[in-house]
Formats: sequence, C-alpha cells, structure tokens
Amino acid sequence: MLKRMIYQRVVLAGLMVVHTCLPSSAEPLKIGMVATLTGAAAEPGRDETQCAKLAAEEVNKAGGVLGRPIELVIEDSQSTNPGSVLAFSKLTGDKDIPAFIGPIFSTQIQALAPDIQRIGKPVMIGGTDPQLTHMGNPWLFRFRPNDTYSARVIADYGVKTLGKKKWAIVYSTEAFGTNGMKNLVEALKGMGVEPALVQGYANNSQDFTAVVLAVKQSGADVMSTYMPFPPDLAIFARQLRQLGVNIAWVGSPSTVGTTALRLAGPALYGSYAVCDFAADSSPAAKEFATKYEANYKSAPDLYGAWAYDAVHVLALVIDNAKSLEPQKIREAILSVKGYPGVEGTYNFDQNGDGLRGYNIVKNDNGKIVFIKHIDFSE
Amino acid sequence: MAMGIALQLLFTGLGIGSIYALVALGFVLIYRATNVVNFAQGDFAMLGAFSMVVLCIDMQLPYWLGILITLAAMLVFGALFNFAVYYPLRNRGFQPVIISTIGASLLLENGVLAAYGPRPQTLPGFLSFPGFSVGPIFFDSQYLLILGVTVVMVTLQHFIFERTLLGKKMEATSQDKEMASLLGIPVALMIMLTFMYSSALGALAGILVAPILFVSVGMGSSIALKAFAASIIGGFGDVIGAIVGGLALGVVETFGAAYISVPYKDAFAFIVLVLFLLFRPQGLFGEKVAEKA
Amino acid sequence: MSGIVSSEAHKPPTERRTNHGRGFLTVLIAAMTVVAPLLLPMTAYYLNLSMQAATYAVAVVGLTIVLGYTGQINLAQAAFFGLGAYSVALGTVSFGLSFWLALFVGIVIASVAGVVLGLTSLRLGGHYLAMVTISFQQILTLVLTNWISLTRGPDGIPGIARPLVFGFSFADGGTYLALCVGTLWIVGFCVERLKHSKLGRAMQAVRDNELAAGVIGVDTYRTKVIAFTLCALLGGLGGGLFAGGFTYISPDQFSFAESVVFLTMALLGGVRSPFGATLGTALLILLPEWLRFLKTTYLAVYGGAIILLMVVMPEGIWGFLEALRRRLWPPAVTPVGRVAPLPLTTQIADEDDSTILEVKQLSKHFGGLKAVDQVELSVGRNTVHALVGPNGSGKTTLLNVLSGIYKPTTGRLFFDGQPVTRLLPHERAGRGIGRTFQNVRLFTSMSILENIIVGAERPGNAVAIGSNSVEQHALAALDFVGLVKLRKQTVQSLSYGHQRLIEIARTLAGSPQLLLLDEPGAGLNTVEKSELVQLLKRLKRHGLTILVIDHDMNLVEQVADRITVLNFGRRIADGPPAEVLCNPEVIAAYLGNVKTHVAP
Repeated sequence: MLKRMIYQRVVLAGLMVVHTCLPSSAEPLKIGMVATLTGAAAEPGRDETQCAKLAAEEVNKAGGVLGRPIELVIEDSQSTNPGSVLAFSKLTGDKDIPAFIGPIFSTQIQALAPDIQRIGKPVMIGGTDPQLTHMGNPWLFRFRPNDTYSARVIADYGVKTLGKKKWAIVYSTEAFGTNGMKNLVEALKGMGVEPALVQGYANNSQDFTAVVLAVKQSGADVMSTYMPFPPDLAIFARQLRQLGVNIAWVGSPSTVGTTALRLAGPALYGSYAVCDFAADSSPAAKEFATKYEANYKSAPDLYGAWAYDAVHVLALVIDNAKSLEPQKIREAILSVKGYPGVEGTYNFDQNGDGLRGYNIVKNDNGKIVFIKHIDFSE
Repeated sequence: MAMGIALQLLFTGLGIGSIYALVALGFVLIYRATNVVNFAQGDFAMLGAFSMVVLCIDMQLPYWLGILITLAAMLVFGALFNFAVYYPLRNRGFQPVIISTIGASLLLENGVLAAYGPRPQTLPGFLSFPGFSVGPIFFDSQYLLILGVTVVMVTLQHFIFERTLLGKKMEATSQDKEMASLLGIPVALMIMLTFMYSSALGALAGILVAPILFVSVGMGSSIALKAFAASIIGGFGDVIGAIVGGLALGVVETFGAAYISVPYKDAFAFIVLVLFLLFRPQGLFGEKVAEKA
Repeated sequence: MSGIVSSEAHKPPTERRTNHGRGFLTVLIAAMTVVAPLLLPMTAYYLNLSMQAATYAVAVVGLTIVLGYTGQINLAQAAFFGLGAYSVALGTVSFGLSFWLALFVGIVIASVAGVVLGLTSLRLGGHYLAMVTISFQQILTLVLTNWISLTRGPDGIPGIARPLVFGFSFADGGTYLALCVGTLWIVGFCVERLKHSKLGRAMQAVRDNELAAGVIGVDTYRTKVIAFTLCALLGGLGGGLFAGGFTYISPDQFSFAESVVFLTMALLGGVRSPFGATLGTALLILLPEWLRFLKTTYLAVYGGAIILLMVVMPEGIWGFLEALRRRLWPPAVTPVGRVAPLPLTTQIADEDDSTILEVKQLSKHFGGLKAVDQVELSVGRNTVHALVGPNGSGKTTLLNVLSGIYKPTTGRLFFDGQPVTRLLPHERAGRGIGRTFQNVRLFTSMSILENIIVGAERPGNAVAIGSNSVEQHALAALDFVGLVKLRKQTVQSLSYGHQRLIEIARTLAGSPQLLLLDEPGAGLNTVEKSELVQLLKRLKRHGLTILVIDHDMNLVEQVADRITVLNFGRRIADGPPAEVLCNPEVIAAYLGNVKTHVAP
C-alpha cells in the first residue's frame, strides 16, 4: 500500500517535472535572424526582415510550428563582419533558438562559419559565394542559387539565345562582383568564349566614363555586369547611354533591384538580367509579390524573397521532423524536394544548395518581364 | 578617336572635379577661420540634397522655392552647428574639435537614416535637357551647370571677401583672430557667419550634385575626403587653390582610371596628394608659413 | 601617475611603501583579469566582445604614443592593424608559418611601414601629416582589396588558426582571450613606463613645443619617427591578435572608417594614457552594444554622445578622472634636502679673451626681404654681449639663425673654433649653445622639474644618464635660480617672471657655454628685472658667455660688456657700451627712444 502511494507520488512528481520542462504549447518558437539593420547595407537588410516577417505572419496564421507561433528574434550585424559575429553570438546565447536565418552577404557568412560549426545548429543563408556550401560545414543551407549558376545561365542565354559572342564584363571589386566575374569567365570558357574585356571598378565610384569608354573600345556586342550598389549601376547606365552604347546587356540580379530601377529609369530599359526572384516566374512568386506590395507598398526583390522562402521551409521541415533537434532539422531540409518557393523550386542537394537555376528577365520600358527559367541539374 | 576619348575624359574629369571644388570651398573657409578641419562638411551637402527631396519631391513644391527654403534652413543649421560642435571647444586645440565634427557627421548621417530610411533617392536636374553631343563627346548638362555655378560662386566670394566690409572682417578674423579681436571685430560672430556661409555652400553643392550622384546618406562623406585632399593640393587656406585643386584632382582621377587602372582610381588622388605634401606642401598656390620664433 | 619623476632613494619611506602597495595592487588586478576568462564561463557573445575590445585596445595604445605623447595625428592605424592581421592570416593559411612567426613578421612589416610614415614628418605637421596618413590608409585598403593574387582580395581569408605553445593550444576562446588580455596589460605597462623615460619626455617636449624641444637638445625628427614606428608596431600586434581571435578577416575591416574609430577611442578615453586608451576602446565597443535596444537610431545617439563627451571632458574620461584626483589629492611636496650645486657654480671665469662665437658675412633673406644683411659678429668668451636695434632690425632672426632654426642664405658660423653653419638645433645644443625665447616656451603639460630634466638630457651633457644624477642635476639648475620649491608645480600656475627663470634654468641644466637670451626682460617688472641682472652677472662670473637681445637700455647698460647694433638687418655699430650709445647713427636709428624708452 505504502509502496503504491510512493510510486504514485513519484510518477505524479515526475509528470509534473516533465510537464514543466516541456515548453507549453502556446509559447512562441524563436527563430534567430542576423540582418544588416544599420550601416552601409541597411536597405537590403530592411527588405530581408520585412519578407521574413511576412512569412512568419503567414505561418502563424496557418497554426504555427508544432502548434506554437514562431517569433523572429532579429539582431543587427551593423553591416560589418565583427558586427555579424557579435550579433550571432548574442543569438546563440539563447539556447531555445533551434535555427537561424543568416545574412545575405557572403563575407559575413564566412565570418560566422566557425561559430556556426561550433554550435552545430542550422542556418539558412542567402549568400551566393559557391564556396559556402563546399567547405565542409554541414549547417549552412542556401536559399538562393549560387554564383556558378548565375554565371552559367548568363553565358547560356547570351551565347545560345541572343547569339552574342563578344563579351564585356564589368564588375565591382568587392567580394560579390569579383566572384561573379570569376564564375562568368569560367562559364564562358566552358562554352569556348574568351571575354573581350574584363573591367573591374571600386564600389562607390562617382563616375564611370573610363569604364564606358573601355566597353565601347572593346567592340563587345554583349555586356554583363556585377554591380551591387544601385547608385553605381544607375550612374553607369546613364553614362553608357550618353556615350551611345546600346549593346545587349545581361546583368546580375542587382540590375533589376527595385532601387536600381528607380534610380536609373530609362537608362536600363531593354536590358536583361538573371534574377533569382521574378514576380512572374511562378504562381507562388506572383502571390508573394501581391501580398508584399499590399503590406509594404513597394515591390519585393531578391534581397528579401529568399528569406521568405527560408522561413516557410524552416517551418515546414520542423513540422515534418516533429523535432527541434539540429540533426533532425538538417535531415529534413536536405530531404526537401520539389518545394514551390518564390525563388524557384527547391531541391536540396547534399551540399545544402536548394536552387540550381536562375530566371532570365527583361526590363521592358520599366516593367520587369519574365522570359524564361534556366535550370541545371547539378 | 584617341583625341575624342581624351576630350571626353577631360570634360567628365572637370565635371567631377568641380564637385570636389565646391565642397573644398566650404572646407577651406572653415579652416581659415577656425584652423579646424570639419569632417562633417560633406554632410552639409547631404542635408541640402535631402532637404530638396523632402520639399520638391515629397511636398511637391516648385524648384526655386525648394532651393530658397533649403539654403535659408542651412544658414540656420550652420549657426546651430557652430554652437553645438565648434563653439564649446574653440579654445581646446584642434583634436577635440576634429573628433566633435566626426561625431557630428555620425549623428547627421544616422539621424537622416533613421528619419528617412536607407533607400537612395533621385532628384531631377534643373535643366530639362540632359545634355548634348559634339561629335563623340557628350556634355552632361548638369556638369555644365555645376561648372558654371562654381565660377559664379568663386567670383561672388571674391567680391564679398575683398570688397565688402563684412567680408574683409571675416577675412581678417581668419588670418589673425587675436589681432582682429583687438581691432574690435566680433570674432565669435565672424566665425558663426563663416559656418553659416559654409553650411549653405555645402548644401548648394549637394543640391547640384544630387541629380548626378543620387541622394543617399553617405553621399557627402565619399566626396568630402577627396575634397579635403583637393584643398591641400591647391594650397590649404587659399580659395582659388581649392578650386584648382578640385578640378585638377577630378581630371587626374578620370585620366588615371582610363589609362592606368579603374579599381585603383581612388588611389591616384591620394598618391598625387602625397607627392605634393612631400615636395610642395604649400600646394599650388599656398604660401609658406613660417612659425614666429 | 601625474608624471612626477622621483627616484626611489629620495622618497620618504611612507611614499615608497605607498608606491609599492599601488604596484602590487595593479599586478593583482592584472593577474585577475587575465585568469578570469580561463576560469569563468563566458558566453560566446561576451568572449567575442572582449576579444575585439582587447585587440583593438592594443592598437589604440599605439595611438597613445604617437598622438598622446608626441602630439602627431595618425589616421592610418587601421592600416597597420590590417598589416598585422593579414600577415598572420596569410602567414598561417597561405605560407604555413607558425602563428608566432607570422605575428612577428606582421609586427616587423607594420613597424617598417611606421618608419616610412614617420620619415614623411620631416617637413610636415598637423593637418598635412594627417593627410599623408589618410592617403597611406586609403592606398593600403585598395591594395588589400585588389591585389588578389597575394591577399585573396575581397573574399578575405578564412580559417586562421590559433597559436600553439609547446603543444598547448590557444584554440579555446577563453584561453585566447586570456592571451590577448595578458598582452594588453604588458603593452599598457610598458607604454606607461615610457612616459617617464628620456624618450617619453622627449616625445612630450615635441608635442608641447616642437621648436623649443629642438633648441634645447631633442632630436625632434628622430623622436617623431620612433613614435610612429612604435605606434605602428602596436597596431600590427593588435591586428595579428585580432586575426587569430576572429579567425576570418576581409579588407573592408581595415578601412579609413576603422582608423577614425581607433582615433575616437583614443580621444574619448583619454589620449595621454594607456589606461585611457583601454577605457575608450571598451566604452566604444560596449556603447553600440548597450544602445542596441535603440535599433536603428543608436549610431545617431552614439555620434551625439561623442560630441557631448568632447565638450564636457576634452582630456577624455581618464584625463577627467586624473584631473579630479589631482585636485582632491594634490601631490605632497616633500622636502628635498640638500641639493648638490650645479657643476657650473664651481667654475670660476678665467681670463680668457678668445672668441667663442664667430659670425661671418651672415645673410638671411625671405624672398625679397633681407632680414639679416651681411652681419659680422664676434662674441668674446666669458663676456655679456648685447644685440640691440629697433623693431624689425633682424635681431630675433639672427638669433634664430644662430640657434639653427633658420638656415642662413649666405655666411658662416663658428662656435668654439668649429664650423656650425649646417648643424641642426639639437646638435647645436649638443655643442653647448643654449637659448631662451622671446615668448616663453615651456612644456606646459610636464611639471617644472621635468622641463628642467629635458634640458639636462641634451646630447653630450656631462651628466650620466640614469635617473638619479640627471634629476639631481636638474634640481641643481632649479636651485641656481632659486626656485626649487616650485619643482612639482605646473607651468601655468607660475608667474611670468618665474616662468622666465624656469626657462633659463632649463637651458642651464644643459651645461651650456654660450647662452642666447631673446628679450629676457620682456614682461618683467622692475624688481624682477634687477633680479635678472644679478642672475646674468652671476652666470658671467661662473664663466658663461651670454648673447642677449633686449630693448631695455638700462638693463643692457648694466650687464653688457659689448653691444652690437642692428638696423634694417645691417650692423651699424659694434663696441663697448659707452662708445656705441654715443654713436650718432645709433641715436638716429632710435631717434628719441633712448631717453624715454621703457621696456614693454
């Protein structure tokens, strides 16, 4: 009799302990996010956070994750590498956060990589440096196609569809531009084309006359640009037209960023771009664009769209895995196949790359028109 | 063909150089009056440009009204700047003031960022036609306007400082504060006027530059450093020197980019500066100043 | 530590014990901060924050040397930081060197760069030097970004390994932080000691009054080069440690903006002390973190806070605390006991009428202006020789040429039979030429005693350079002018007359043979002037030769053995006072000033 009483009490106590240890069903599930809220990259950072928040709202309206609403905990990386590291370490201090949305900037992700490896939790990233998924870090999951694909798509479209072979490449000497250039040169080489001009420039140039003249002089009939900074792109485009250069233009995704379009205006009309996000590329993208515009009064672009996908996919896989354990989440992400995101259809490979193709879009008198989607199987 | 290219580069170089020149003018004035380098000079330009965006784009006021209001507001701002940033530190040597102006720059840039957001803005040019071509060379109308305004400003400034009593008082203050004070010139007032004028001048530079470089919170600081270098090349303390230095710098940069290396474009300005500093520190027009033993 | 030099032997026992107590306490605190990261569990966030603070602080302490001590602006500290960081990164990742070797290489490279930058200070100062440093910084950032084959360009360098010591790895965050904090303490300690060394005093002299520093024997150029080198060295050290700490670097972290951050940290904390440097660094790294809750407006608040701090606390926070401490607990003036007299006083003038200073056909032109025109002058040993003339006659210019401040356009100078025309000011001080200035040029941030000590430390002075005898010698010089009791005061607290005497004492501490005095009587009242006359006579009795400029004819008449008169840069009379003062040309030059002349 006594034994049974003790036994009951112990079980009851045990249950109570277990109950208090389990998070209560209404307690929010925190997802950490490192974004550039201040500093040089404040603008893309704002887009990113807005898209992520939109996705979070939708997830919560549909019932949340594992019955809990998700809550984004956003820390500012101040647009610097040490700032990213500090922001991330602040987030990792909270042991309840099972996964993170990382930065879009490859150098910041590189700075975070050792810490990410150490704590062993999944981080969704938007950086396009191909290295990031090929350096043996199992916790990085990329929600944008990396730069090898943008280069291959540009080369493919320019050579095969537009039929142009004399290439000029204009790129910014910072990380994104240099990598883009390297990948494009290699992709073109793979198609037997040697570029006529490879011209770098430093971000924040106030004048592009020298570059435009170089393009003109090279006799190129097609040009590719990797120009991440919208004012640079706009000044370049304007001076290009002033000096009468009207060759085919297939640019990087920043060529159709909303700010670039607004600043450059007519100078960008008629140009093509590869873009991971295009509103007309799929029904999912169109729906997202409409919702975003309704909420934030401006069109979404590539800087944030991936974060929207990342939040949704993360919610989905956690629900599927029914667990917050890092390894389980990882396996769940890697097994995502055929997910219709706004950036494209996600098929995760073992490296953590979810997308392997880009959209080709055209600037048709200011309206971005979807042309086609080019995918590579590997 | 090569001639055409060289001429185009020359024109654009002069164009960008005149932007440096305008900002350098503001630097030089404050330096002459107070012996302090104002790290926030570029932000005066930024404020002027943003003010125009708010008045003419957001509030849809006519251009000329926007300019008047902006310049008037910047005159007031210059006085405020003087009181908050320079005046309390005026006797403490130049280091605290430099830091104070750096703090002011941070405050202004991030204040505007917090208030307006990070998106760069456009400001249309004043002239409705974008420019004209002569053969292979394109003359951007905004650059022409800037060059023209620079010439006007220099002439105007020359007139004010050489011919009017107020101008001469300000000039005297900048050359020798103590002596001016002994002569009954209200030094503090003269310095305040210098800040006000410099502030409005900076804003004017910003308004002129905005259609070309677009309006963003960082637009001023990227120009300011080179403008400062230009003023040293021209001869620090000399107004004509600032102009010539600015134009020269713009041309050197543009030619350097075209014929040597585009990514290192910014380095040319500084290399030229270092050469001047090592071999001719008084710049093109400055005078050697001997310390009175 | 208010910069008072005291040798241990002369301090009363209680003061010695307090100093030992303070030293012990400091070591204890240092040890605790180094050990803390090893024992206390710290979150990654605080580890990273502290690591950034510690490595940045090492670089900022470098700025203490060049800006705080020597008064030269350096806006390229981020470049030196970057050189150190890249050396460690490339060294360990690309070239497979050990961390310590790579760090050493980084320090060497940064130091060489510092030497180069320092060399440019030969003809430049103030804003111009600042611009050279800015240019260097900008060019280096561009090179780091664009020389991709060497530096890997904008991608940066990941995977930097942390060091090993005999198999003991510093890979753990806490251990590495302990290493950084330990380094910071050692660096801070050394830099603090530097302040009270001969080099430190020379640096402060250059900052306070470069002209005077040169004239009393400080090799100002070499001092500035050393200052830049040390600053760059510490910048490189900090950068190397930083690279090991964050294990990833990219060129955008070493830009001009970062140099501005370093400068701000130095000035905010208090640029004249390594403690101030550390305090400023910690504050400016923590402040944005504390202000994170302000989300997007924190940088604006931060900028406003900087302005406010500058207005309220210009010497930085540490300087403010120091000033407060000095006011609440003023340094006790302990009695100094017997002071051995200056060696000077044991000399007795002998009857030697050779010439000590020979000036032949000296001219100094400024463009078209002939300030000094073909002047010939002979100053006899052990005489008082006066140089007079109306305003603008070229007297001070001539003195400046004699001191080495100006180079003569034509003509030659001989001192003690040796040609000295080409010598720099500090070299002339080394030969035994001393000089005072028309407007007193004392080193305002050092104590009176330290001012004198700098004079005593001139090259070639017959005093052993070791703190004890130099200090004794300085006290002796102070005693000679009767002002020993003022030795711990600040310059500003002294009357003008006393400041003049201190300036003379400073020169006397350099055991000069020839004393050049520029208007020593200016600004003195009658009583002070007669004391001055007595002093000059005393000096002459002890074998010194004096060349004095003054307007007060009374004073001149009382002391001068010989007078040379200049007018419009030319010598118009030279001879004994009685003769010269009756010379009609001299009278005409002064026209009406002789009788009614009252010294200003």
